[in-house]
Amino acid sequence: MTVRRSEDGRVVLEGACPIEDAEPLLQLLLADRRGAVDWRACETAHTAVLQVLLASGTTMIGPPAGAFLRDHIAAALAQAGS
Amino acid sequence: MNEFLEQFLIESRELVEQATSDLLALEDKPADGERLDGVFRAFHTLKGAAGIVDFTAMGRALHAAEDVLSRVRNGQARVTPMLISDCLTCLDQVVQWLDAMQGSGETPSDAEAKADVIVARFAGPELMATPAAPPPSTNWAYDLGAKHPADRARARTALRYRPDEEGFFWGDDPVAAMEALPELLRLELEPIEPWPSLDAFEPFVCRLVIMALSSASSEVLSPFCATLGGQVELTALAEPTVQDEGLPPEARDLLDAQLLLLDEPAPEGAAGRMAAAGRVAANVLQHLGRTVEARQVEQASAMPEALRRAIEAVLAGFPIVEPDALESAAAAAAAPVADAPPRVLRVDVERVDALVKLTGELMVAKNALGHIARLAQDGADAKGLALVLKDQHALFERLVNELQRSVLGIRVLPLRQVFQRFPRLVREMAASVGKPIRLVTEGDAVEADKAIVESLFEPLLHMLRNAVDHGIEPEQARLAAGKPSMATIHLRGARNGEYVHIEVEDDGGGIDVARIRRVAAERGVASAEVLAAMPDEEAAELIFAPGFSTAAEVTGLSGRGVGMDAVRAVVGRLGGRVTLENRPGIGAKVRLTLPFTVMMTRLMTVEAGGQAFGIPMDAVVETVKVARERIAPVGAARAFVLRNRTIPLIDLAEALGETRETSPGADANVVVVAVGGQLGSLEVDRLGERIDVMLKPMDGLLSGMPDVAGTTLLGDGRVLIVLDLQALLL
Repeated sequence: MTVRRSEDGRVVLEGACPIEDAEPLLQLLLADRRGAVDWRACETAHTAVLQVLLASGTTMIGPPAGAFLRDHIAAALAQAGS
Repeated sequence: MNEFLEQFLIESRELVEQATSDLLALEDKPADGERLDGVFRAFHTLKGAAGIVDFTAMGRALHAAEDVLSRVRNGQARVTPMLISDCLTCLDQVVQWLDAMQGSGETPSDAEAKADVIVARFAGPELMATPAAPPPSTNWAYDLGAKHPADRARARTALRYRPDEEGFFWGDDPVAAMEALPELLRLELEPIEPWPSLDAFEPFVCRLVIMALSSASSEVLSPFCATLGGQVELTALAEPTVQDEGLPPEARDLLDAQLLLLDEPAPEGAAGRMAAAGRVAANVLQHLGRTVEARQVEQASAMPEALRRAIEAVLAGFPIVEPDALESAAAAAAAPVADAPPRVLRVDVERVDALVKLTGELMVAKNALGHIARLAQDGADAKGLALVLKDQHALFERLVNELQRSVLGIRVLPLRQVFQRFPRLVREMAASVGKPIRLVTEGDAVEADKAIVESLFEPLLHMLRNAVDHGIEPEQARLAAGKPSMATIHLRGARNGEYVHIEVEDDGGGIDVARIRRVAAERGVASAEVLAAMPDEEAAELIFAPGFSTAAEVTGLSGRGVGMDAVRAVVGRLGGRVTLENRPGIGAKVRLTLPFTVMMTRLMTVEAGGQAFGIPMDAVVETVKVARERIAPVGAARAFVLRNRTIPLIDLAEALGETRETSPGADANVVVVAVGGQLGSLEVDRLGERIDVMLKPMDGLLSGMPDVAGTTLLGDGRVLIVLDLQALLL
């Protein structure tokens, strides 16, 4: 599983997150609305996953591992959240 | 090329022409509902035509224009100079496509991207004049650039991509796809509408809008965009102005003040204030020499939002999508000339019917001839036969003349065909030199031979360009001279017997003869002594001299390194002449006198050295008998004095390498001719009759023969050689 809740309660995204991660990610964020998402180990993420992150406006702990995520998506998420 | 496509090209060009003239009329009178309907109908029909040949890109571009026009028709938007420019740009694009299709027979491959640019142009905020809920995407490209000025400075294209909502089910990953976008600078993700609460959120429906800035051009991006599902918009971004750091603080303050003025809420007097703000901003920019931006601000000053954006854009250092109207207009105008002329001719049905009728009459006349032949065979009396034959000859003459007229009539076009392209070009030329000029066309219904009408574009373009550049004084000088600041150029066509007159008359300062002398001396057109001795009228004519206009004067519009000498050359080739009327301080008038048709030539026949020659009648001034003793040798040549003018004399037989047959004692038969404004004369053995002929240009082996304009057959079967006097005498 590339999306999971860590021991300290944060949501963690790791590796290449496929579209299937969107639903569990949404459930995790619904359960804890103020929880932050740690995507430092995330290589790539499907649009649906990013969309959940955007919609929840959650705090991201980064930078992510993947170059495209780091260079373009992180800024776009921060911009949208502001 | 298939017939279908051919028809499409012909019709589309006609529609473009109609739409252009309606648009220009509409610019003068924005309230003219009839013109507006005309424009709308033309765009609509063009769109339909594009649909028929499956040219979707063209359909899309026209649809965008039609949408806006339809809003104007419904009173939801207004006619603005910006709208007119946008529509004209759209038509320019269509013309370029048509030209490309004419060449290749296929729809151009980059059409989609070009259509995107047009569509984006019409999606701009300027046209949303009414508050009636502009779509959220109005000026996303501008907003995107404004948010990221650093990236904007390098960006060439803005992209807005709305993926298919159900796309996830087909395996789409739109954001990841952006990784492959060429030269991506900046990416933004936005919801289509505010996100619902997380409980109601559907994770597998794509509700995103993706926006991006790229430093690649839209041509590079469009193939990439074609691979994306959903709606993609591309907008070409202007190069940021280089000198934007140079905006002086005072100017900046003034512009800021105008923005504040626009911000003030005040229901009454808002329009006046806006106009004032726009004017001040435009003046500031004009003062800084940033005319393009000044124009943009001016154009935007009818709408508060547009004006605000325009001013903000200047402050931020980049104008949004720079309309390159001048260049495209010039390209559009020049392209059809460069290409081969269209091979299809549209002919009035009535004219064809007349031809059919004539054919019938000729058949009858032919049968009558058969009957006469039988009479002759049966040994009818010669006198009676001659009478009948004469009758028949007269009948044939009438029919053949009529036939000739009708056939030539098919080749006749109204001058409108060429005139209608100029209002647009003069408008652009005037804007480029910053002089207010209006063009008044008269007599555009006057007809002339197709070959003439089609060759007139370039000479007239040069003449108009000359009037705009050199003839019309700058506004200040005009006012100082007590003239209206708006200059007028008249473009006139008139029929005068067998000739068509075309005039370009401006109310400028006339030709500066002193300057002409100076320039002519500098460029070595003539020696200083010759120039000093020259009367003013003759000196003014030097503008037509080869080598007078140089490449340094070549402008973007003419751009071919030719000047007024090219005008004279083209007109001369068509069998016409150019005359100049210069009234210093009042204006200048250049007149082209052209034969109504290039095919019919009236000739005077002469004989020299036992051979018959034709001399074009319009060159003949008079015929005189000159006593031998009055002919004096001048150097190697000869001349005689006629009414106090010395006229050079050429012995035609000698000049053509024949020997003269008349005895040296008798008076010389001399034909005085005028060529290019100069008199010359030819000595011939005998003067002949006047005849009308269809001149055939020399072809094949003889095409390079000097001094000969063409040939025709005489009634007795002899070949008549028609002389090219220009080559012979000059």
